[in-house]
Amino acid sequence: MSTIHVKGLTKSFGGNDVLKGIDLDVADGEVVCVIGPSGSGKSTLLRCLNKLEEISGGSVVIDDFDLTDPKVDLNQVRQRIGMVFQHFNLFPHMSAIENIMLAPVELKKQTKAEARQSALQLLTRVGLEEKADARPASLSGGQKQRVAIARSLAMNPGIMLFDEATSALDPEMVGEVLQVIKDLAREGMTMVVVTHEMGFAREVSDRVVFMADGVICEEGTPEQIFSHPEQPRLQDFLAKVL
Amino acid sequence: MHKPRPSRLTRIVPAAIAAVAALSLFGGVAAAAASPADASHETAGGALAAAASTPPPADVKGKTFTIGTDTTFAPFEFRSGGDLKGIDMDLIRSIAKLEGFSVNIKSLGFDAALQALQSNQVDGVIAGMSITDERKQIFDFSDPYFDSGIQMAVAKSNNDITSYKDLKGKTVAVKRGSEGEAFANSIKNKYHFTVKPLDQSATMYDDVKAGNSVAVFDDYPVLAYGIRQNNGLKAVTAKERGSSYGFAVNKGQNQELLAAFNTGLAELKANGQYQKILDRYLKAPDEAAPNSSFFALLANSFPALMKGLGLTMLATVLSLIFALIIGIVFGFFKVGSSLVLRGIATTYVAIFRGTPLLVQAFFFYFGLPQLTGVPIDVLTAGILTLSLNAGAYMTEIIRGGIQSIDPGQLEAARSLGLGYVTSMRRVVIPQAVKVMTPTFINQFVITLKDTSLLAVIGFAELTYQGQQIYASNFRTGETLLIVAALYFIVIMLLTQLSNLLDRKFNK
Ligand SMILES: Nc1ncnc2c1ncn2[C@@H]1O[C@H](COP(=O)(O)OP(=O)(O)OP(=O)(O)O)[C@@H](O)[C@H]1O
Ligand SMILES: [Mg+2]
Repeated sequence: MSTIHVKGLTKSFGGNDVLKGIDLDVADGEVVCVIGPSGSGKSTLLRCLNKLEEISGGSVVIDDFDLTDPKVDLNQVRQRIGMVFQHFNLFPHMSAIENIMLAPVELKKQTKAEARQSALQLLTRVGLEEKADARPASLSGGQKQRVAIARSLAMNPGIMLFDEATSALDPEMVGEVLQVIKDLAREGMTMVVVTHEMGFAREVSDRVVFMADGVICEEGTPEQIFSHPEQPRLQDFLAKVL
Repeated sequence: MHKPRPSRLTRIVPAAIAAVAALSLFGGVAAAAASPADASHETAGGALAAAASTPPPADVKGKTFTIGTDTTFAPFEFRSGGDLKGIDMDLIRSIAKLEGFSVNIKSLGFDAALQALQSNQVDGVIAGMSITDERKQIFDFSDPYFDSGIQMAVAKSNNDITSYKDLKGKTVAVKRGSEGEAFANSIKNKYHFTVKPLDQSATMYDDVKAGNSVAVFDDYPVLAYGIRQNNGLKAVTAKERGSSYGFAVNKGQNQELLAAFNTGLAELKANGQYQKILDRYLKAPDEAAPNSSFFALLANSFPALMKGLGLTMLATVLSLIFALIIGIVFGFFKVGSSLVLRGIATTYVAIFRGTPLLVQAFFFYFGLPQLTGVPIDVLTAGILTLSLNAGAYMTEIIRGGIQSIDPGQLEAARSLGLGYVTSMRRVVIPQAVKVMTPTFINQFVITLKDTSLLAVIGFAELTYQGQQIYASNFRTGETLLIVAALYFIVIMLLTQLSNLLDRKFNK
């Protein structure tokens, strides 16, 4: 059972309130897409979910672990959450397969041989088994992002976070990455996906969350959000992006 | 209250002497101020005792006296192949032998020898010291054993300048603050020439050989010794007025030693040995013996230079190891989150980057022992200086290297559940090292070259060895070429090696 429970989450940088009280529950196997204008706090929200950002107020509970509890071992919780970044953040000094093997081997979850075995399986899953020994620099953007997804799956997480995973890609490569994410969704992964791809959001999500100015302005099924938006801000936003 | 002869600035730049002088000011002034009073106190008794005890008692026989002298004041005292040689050394040893006593010679440095004499740590001082009225108030001097004076010399090939009159409109080199300078200034208006003060004898001679000055005014013994060593000059005038050198004991003390010196000196003069000793150091070579070939110079100087190069490498390697450790610690302080640690690292870097390396070397060698009371040897002081100096640069190299790595790398590693240390070790540092390697190599070369600055505190590395060689053979240009070539070759080789390793490991 992989779940996320966010209650009254606030986050400020210096005096700048970026998140102003977010409540969000994600059920096991649920796919939630987060949309909203630039600067509305989507990335910040996502980064609070694995505590890459310190949490200013409220609470974030992953499965049974309260991230605001100082006794919680963050490294343990983070192994339950995979994260995919807009700019891939692959380790350039390691081959594709070494990128994937790093965490399982360092965290002693697997021997080197086992890790190599599962890494190859993950590469096969994203269609890149023949690129196992390639350095990131020799991969295309779409291939890099697929390796990054494979890497984030290496610790076998129950939850995946995607922050604009296709925004840095050339258009012809967007499809291959979205396909991998769709596959994950179909397999029952619990996911929070920040995206600007409205068509994809509509297709893949169980629920869409619209953020504006650090709050959740409106949420609902894709049908409700895209076909019957209620808030004027959401209507404005959709008018601009669709 | 001795007046040090300015002409004794040999290898150490005046700044070094100024540093020592400044740092020893308290001790020195206190001792010097106290002594004349003590001395005058004892004068009456001492003089009486001396008067009463002539003719000299024979009780120096079989005794051992400690004699203080300077470190380097060629041709009176200097080291050659580890032994102290020179006119003073030959004289005191010959006299000791003649009079049946032994001497234990302490090479202390001029000022230190005089202070040691005042505090009775040595029994006598022979250090090419002029007999002056000021000094006579504190010390008892022997009969003069050498008459110095100013002499003019020109380049060996120069046949146009044979007297002061020929200097009209020309430039003359002198040693700054020396009697030679005073003399040149006293006659420059009469003969219409320009005086150019320089800091070292070797520099003056080179200035004349290079044709920048036509002549040099210097102390006769120094000049004669240089000419004997084929420094490329020849003396053209007779020696001018000058001071006389004497052997000194503390006022009213060791009178039997003083008397024995005088007796021995007279005997040496009578039997011709005195002249032999002087000729050994001062007699012009009969026919201009040509300089040995460049390759002979290379062969002769090679062992000393290799020894110097060894120390240069040792100092470089040790310093860089320490600097790396310092750099890692302070570099991580600087990228870390603790304000206190960051402040410490920033202060450290600011101090060591914000002050000259030379000042740091003087401080650690001369200053620190004064503050702590713990003496420090020159290798330790040198390596301490270079380590702390290079450490400051290393800190910045490491900070810059780590900060040049995209923060997304650390975030990606942390998001996988890896701890901070593991993430740094496996992800950030390997990339930072790659970025830093060229700067590391650069710092390595800089530190290697910086070791040459330690010559001023007497650290016997390559440059120091070179200075020692041309201070005695006066072949400055060729010697420096050899030294420079050695640095160049070593740095080229090491740079190539580093680049090779860089390419191999940082693919
Ligand atoms: N580390 C930080 N320090 C200070 N301010 C920050 C920091 N990170 C984000 N912010 C601010 O927080 C606000 C929200 O940023 P965030 O990146 O969460 O927006 P976003 O919704 O992801 O936007 P985009 O669609 O452009 O990615 C912005 O105004 C941003 O300037
Ligand atoms: Mg964002």
